[in-house]
Amino acid sequence: MFKELDPILHSQLRLAVMSLLIAVKEAEFTYIREKTNATAGNLSVQVQKLKEAGYIEVTKQFKDNYPQTTCKITAQGIEAFEAYVKALQQYLQAGQG
Amino acid sequence: MLEEKQLTEKESLALIASMINKVKNSCIDSGIGPLFWGVMITICSLITFAESNFHFKLGFDIWILSLIALLPQIFFTWRAKKEKVFIAHDETMMNYVWGTFTVCVFMLSFYNSKTETSNSIALYMMVFGIPTFITGGIRNFKPMILGGLVCWICSIASYYVSFANGMLLMALSAVAAWLIPGIILRRRYLKMKHV
Repeated sequence: MFKELDPILHSQLRLAVMSLLIAVKEAEFTYIREKTNATAGNLSVQVQKLKEAGYIEVTKQFKDNYPQTTCKITAQGIEAFEAYVKALQQYLQAGQG
Repeated sequence: MLEEKQLTEKESLALIASMINKVKNSCIDSGIGPLFWGVMITICSLITFAESNFHFKLGFDIWILSLIALLPQIFFTWRAKKEKVFIAHDETMMNYVWGTFTVCVFMLSFYNSKTETSNSIALYMMVFGIPTFITGGIRNFKPMILGGLVCWICSIASYYVSFANGMLLMALSAVAAWLIPGIILRRRYLKMKHV
């Protein structure tokens, strides 16, 4: 039986953010924006959704007098991401079989 | 530009792979640290070899340069930290490994100044090999794994040669452990920066 794909992760920008955050310990908002080529507004909305789902932690602070937003994947986020990848692989294997 | 659209399973996996690759490319070391220390230790070792082999004195201990070199190293580290926009998973571990190495080199220098033994160069090379080998292993960077091994082989070999030749072995260790890996890393970094 197939697991349903997590709707939070099954969207292009949110998945890109999660894939990026799984590969690092933490990343600044500006770095995520650069790597995803997203607009600041759209990225903010998606980051907020991931935060509300408990998949990422967002820390806001000041660095050299400029506001700095840092994102970090949570244990719950790692679990959800792994489950999502497993489910994707199941779908693809079923498609090939 | 990425929008909030639904993906097929294949597209999702491709996106995950592409984002992880983007991060991997950002994680490439600039190579400045190993390059700088590779040049520094090689020069100091070769000058000490020349002093010992050709019987002349510079008038000051050339190894003081390595202490002075800590200043630009601190500057590079500070600048890199300031410009950093993400923290890699292995970064804390690497800081501890190279921090331990620095402390050990200082302790060795301290003991060396108290006991005046020429065998200490073997110990230096043994210590040089440890963080180099660990870094190479963790980052899957073969030149540093080989560099670490060269340091350990040179460390053993230095017991069987004169002090002057031991210094040549130390220069060889620095070239293998840091200078060559540093050049490779720098070239990779500059290539990635231009892509």
